Amino acid sequence: MPVSAATLAFLRDVRVFEAFADPELAALADRLRERELRRRQILFREGDRGDEMFIVRRGTILISKAVTGKVEQVLVRVEPADFLGEMSLFDGSPRSATAQAETDVELLVLGRDSLQTMTETAPRAAAAFFYAMVQVFMERLRRSTQQVAEATRWGLEATGLDVEAR
Amino acid sequence: MDRPAPAKFELLVRREDDEDFELRQVASVIGYLNSRPRRIDPQSYEISELRSRVAVAPGFILKNTTTDRFLLLSAQERFLWDQMDGATSLQEIATSYVLKYGEFDFDIIPSLLHKLQRAQLLTFEPRSRLRQALARNRDRRVVRAIELALTGLERIRIASQNVHPFFQLLYRYGGFMLFTPAAIVACFGLALIGAGAAVVLFHEMHDMLDGFGGRALVGLVTVKLLFFASVALHQLVHGLACIHYRRRVREFGFTFLHGFVPTFYVDITDIFMASRRARVVTAITGALVHLVLGAAWFIVAAHAPMGGFTQAFAAASGIIQWQALVVALYPFCFIEMDGYHVLVDVLGVPTLKHDALAYVKGLLSGTGRGRLGREEVLWVGYVVLSTLSVAAFIAFNVWIIVSATS
Repeated sequence: MPVSAATLAFLRDVRVFEAFADPELAALADRLRERELRRRQILFREGDRGDEMFIVRRGTILISKAVTGKVEQVLVRVEPADFLGEMSLFDGSPRSATAQAETDVELLVLGRDSLQTMTETAPRAAAAFFYAMVQVFMERLRRSTQQVAEATRWGLEATGLDVEAR
Repeated sequence: MDRPAPAKFELLVRREDDEDFELRQVASVIGYLNSRPRRIDPQSYEISELRSRVAVAPGFILKNTTTDRFLLLSAQERFLWDQMDGATSLQEIATSYVLKYGEFDFDIIPSLLHKLQRAQLLTFEPRSRLRQALARNRDRRVVRAIELALTGLERIRIASQNVHPFFQLLYRYGGFMLFTPAAIVACFGLALIGAGAAVVLFHEMHDMLDGFGGRALVGLVTVKLLFFASVALHQLVHGLACIHYRRRVREFGFTFLHGFVPTFYVDITDIFMASRRARVVTAITGALVHLVLGAAWFIVAAHAPMGGFTQAFAAASGIIQWQALVVALYPFCFIEMDGYHVLVDVLGVPTLKHDALAYVKGLLSGTGRGRLGREEVLWVGYVVLSTLSVAAFIAFNVWIIVSATS
């Protein structure tokens, strides 16, 4: 089935595909699957096996991590043109957090096989993809570090603990 | 430099249906207000009054006998120190402070907490004693089930923090009339007529519950449910009183108190910044809802066909409304309801229940002082009256249930 111009235009806005040439982007788009989630539907749970990453085309996905009982901490909202699930795509490890649709969602799914094919058939595009991915990882690492600092600040403010004076 | 906004967590709380959830923003300030600072063991500190011919206000010296660190406390700080028993939250402590001193110093509590922590005189208890006890025994299946049930019920909370404009509108379009002399006259006039109707009714009726026929239990349950709606009205009137005194209504909602008592509530803590008269009026007006509704029910019962379902229903509703009035305004029942707040405000003893229970507990365990001064008489009187009242209340309700079912 031919890839629509709208899909190609959308993929052009996805950061990890920004450096792709048109034919590379078309080839990639051909290998992406579409998937829809209704509001509140769980995409995957923390601990699930997985080998796919998801690009949000429409709607919002909540990423949360279990804290205690039925309480989870919301780590981030994944908005259109952003992606999730990439860690399991690379190392096949269990999902590190739960992903759930906050609204009705449309996704594009990139499987490990497709990534492998892209690496073999379009090495320039694959290199651009990995380079952009490393940059995204660094940004997310910075954000995680910031979240740790915020969690510590929350604890200090909630207990009124005067650490400076100790 | 500007202080950063309080840190916040966004939490996702799952419901029974695994996909359903609720998002909650939890600011650090909520954790702070709900924390329960606790003094270290009484054996580990000493406190004594500092007498001086120069200083006008009394001071106190607090010593950590383990570390030999000393702190100088003002009378206000001593008051706050006495509240830090591990059961009272910072929010409750702040409320007590306002009731005692009639003003609030926003820095005194954080700075005292810092001083006490530095001197290692404080620990923190984050949750209620019941929840702590349950957590300790979580390996037992029954305890785990109770804990789960309480947690589930605690999650049921329907509330809005943006209710002030609603209450202002309600006040502007009619609510203000509740705070006019005409409303007071009408309220007590209706109460008198209602009381007259009740007296006539109980002279004429052989057994009020006969009118329910074979549907006594269903009738009483319906009466209770209808009464529950009047609790919402009670809270609405508290909110209107708050608006009347130009203070802010912070929240209105429904929750399970302590995880198992269903109730409506309104957050009118801003009224503590108003005059004593405003606080007393705000406390009393909510309860007067039950006086008016009870009177109305008795009048309906008096005019309903004798011995019929309507009469029984109206009479039972009248009784339960006036019972609620007594419970709300009667201060001696260990529950800090409207009457209790009025009493402590009038006496100027904001920690009456806390101090009374601690004193009597000390007497019973043989560690308390035996000397009876004014305060001790007040404490013993409060505990004795409350104990007798609770016993009488339970006996009365048992009698009602036995009468209804036999």
